[in-house]
Amino acid sequence: MYSIEVKNLGKRYQIGSRLHSLRDAIWPRIPKNEDNIHWAVKDVNFALTPGQSLGIIGPNGAGKTTILKMLAQVTPPTEGYVKLNGRFSALIALGAGFHPDLTGRENVYLNGAILGMKRSEINERFDQIVAFADIGRFIDTPVKRYSSGMYARLGFAIAAHVDPDILLVDEVLAVGDYAFQMKCYSRMDELRQQGTSLIFISHNMDAVRRVCDNAMVMYQGKSVFHGSAGDAIVAYSDVIRQAAKKSQLSPHKTDGLAQKVMTFDAEIEAVTVKTTAGQQVNTITSGQTIQIYVKTRFHKAVQQPIFSLTIRTTDGRAVYITTSQWQQLETTDFPAHSQYNIIYNLQLTLLEGQYDIGVDIAAHDLSHYYDRLERALTIQVIDNHQAQGIIDLSANISWEPISVEVKQ
Amino acid sequence: MYYHLQQLYQHRELLGAWTMRTIRARYKQSMVGGLWAILQPTANAIIFTIIFTQLVPINTEPIPYIVFSYTALIPWTLLATGITDMSNTLVENMGLITKIYFPREVLLMAQLLARLVDFAIATSILLVLIIIYRQQIDFDPIVFLAFPLILLIQLALMLGLGLIISSINVFYRDVKHLVTLGLQIWLYLSPIIYPVTRIPEQYHTLYFLNPMAGILEAYRAVWLYGQWPDSSSLLLSATISFFLLIFGYFFFKRVEINFADVV
Repeated sequence: MYSIEVKNLGKRYQIGSRLHSLRDAIWPRIPKNEDNIHWAVKDVNFALTPGQSLGIIGPNGAGKTTILKMLAQVTPPTEGYVKLNGRFSALIALGAGFHPDLTGRENVYLNGAILGMKRSEINERFDQIVAFADIGRFIDTPVKRYSSGMYARLGFAIAAHVDPDILLVDEVLAVGDYAFQMKCYSRMDELRQQGTSLIFISHNMDAVRRVCDNAMVMYQGKSVFHGSAGDAIVAYSDVIRQAAKKSQLSPHKTDGLAQKVMTFDAEIEAVTVKTTAGQQVNTITSGQTIQIYVKTRFHKAVQQPIFSLTIRTTDGRAVYITTSQWQQLETTDFPAHSQYNIIYNLQLTLLEGQYDIGVDIAAHDLSHYYDRLERALTIQVIDNHQAQGIIDLSANISWEPISVEVKQ
Repeated sequence: MYYHLQQLYQHRELLGAWTMRTIRARYKQSMVGGLWAILQPTANAIIFTIIFTQLVPINTEPIPYIVFSYTALIPWTLLATGITDMSNTLVENMGLITKIYFPREVLLMAQLLARLVDFAIATSILLVLIIIYRQQIDFDPIVFLAFPLILLIQLALMLGLGLIISSINVFYRDVKHLVTLGLQIWLYLSPIIYPVTRIPEQYHTLYFLNPMAGILEAYRAVWLYGQWPDSSSLLLSATISFFLLIFGYFFFKRVEINFADVV
């Protein structure tokens, strides 16, 4: 039994019409002119069982907000359907419906009612909510005197205590300090263990990885990837790269976003790992010195770019990040239509496991990337089983006497 | 239809909470609070009294003009403020409408209910006025049973209009200016500052097509003359009002799902 099921979901908007016509609202009609229609979301499918979680990531304008609105039943889908089984709560705009002149206490009851809680339920959970929000004696102060952090904390606390079967979370953890964010994450974990299905919409890749098992990547209204959260983040990076490449090839038809993030003036063509003997490998013995070759083509002249290398565990945790800038290495200018190998020489003191290597080339002022591969290749490290973990710190084990008493 | 009413019933606690919010928010950070409820009809009554007793006398004997006009200005103020509040409430709460689902008419009904508080305060002043001017009329207390019925008809009329106007206002924001203008004209088309007897007999059928005419006359009959309201004019008002309410509700529910896409 699914707690949420989304099938063939699609939303069409008519663009160009200056006023949303009341007539269209009363008698909906299909727009005749194909050029004026825009599918904000098309063919989106997913289903979650109780306790499952799904992250939805994608650049601005990819259709995330439209999906959110359809899930929240605020706007009807043009195609397909959303089926919800159970109580639904949305953490969308924290404190939606808060009135600035009312006190925290009054707003808890108001916001709770908006989220579908009965007064008796709010009474029951009131102390928990206040404790979670960490508002203390400010609960009887008008919320207009709250800091934005307090405002968000109270908003989150209410929504998280609805005890929903389905929880929709959107980009809300950007506010609040680190400690509060951690508290929110553990509350989400707690709810999931109690069987709440969670949909988490965010730009923050680390947050998605922290909260979700699976994730979906949206791009131009379509779901371009649906799989594990770790892989989704790589897919998202690829999507941006593809978009950048497309806009580089046809400069008159840019889609804005990709242009800003990635210009593709330099393109990473291949990434390989070689031993000192020059042999190309994918399996490396722990402690071995290797060279990572990044074969790069410069389409345009590029001045003093910044080269960067990232090594991650397969679940996305960064093990090692370095850049030419951090190493205070002055790079040269690269002429247009040239090809170079950028070489990272390193001793791989990682312990046994699989690791992802990511590389990027960024502008000298870090205003944008030229090219970026979140996961250029995956390597296998093997060791002699003298240690476990991620990194080989070559611990030496020894002992020395402090006092010795020998029994006769 | 049944489904919509069921949804509305399920959100009754929200209606209560939103009504309380509206009332509390209105009087927080204001010096005289609930006094504003009587200020507007009282000020109007005083102005009209000066004009229509000193400058252009209107005979309302045996009722003093101020009591005569105030009796109608209370329900009129309820109508005018209620409709203005309802017209704007959807647009003001767009942030909520684009994010969370609930039956949107809850917002309108809360505005309406919140104005009833003002109405109750102002009506209590009317009672004081009636005592001051010692209306020596044979009161049959049973006629006061008609009062909640008249109020109900007025609320139906207001909600019906509110449902239509507020949803059009989402699509075309200039509607709210039209509302102000319309209410101004409507004031003079209703028996507020003058008695119905001033309208020539042959125009009465036309005149009472304005549902407020029957409603205001009914209030006066109850409050000032201690009589049962004229049933034919009140029945006409009730028919028009409930027709507007039903039509308004269907209209509202038809366009409601598009609100979030307009913004």
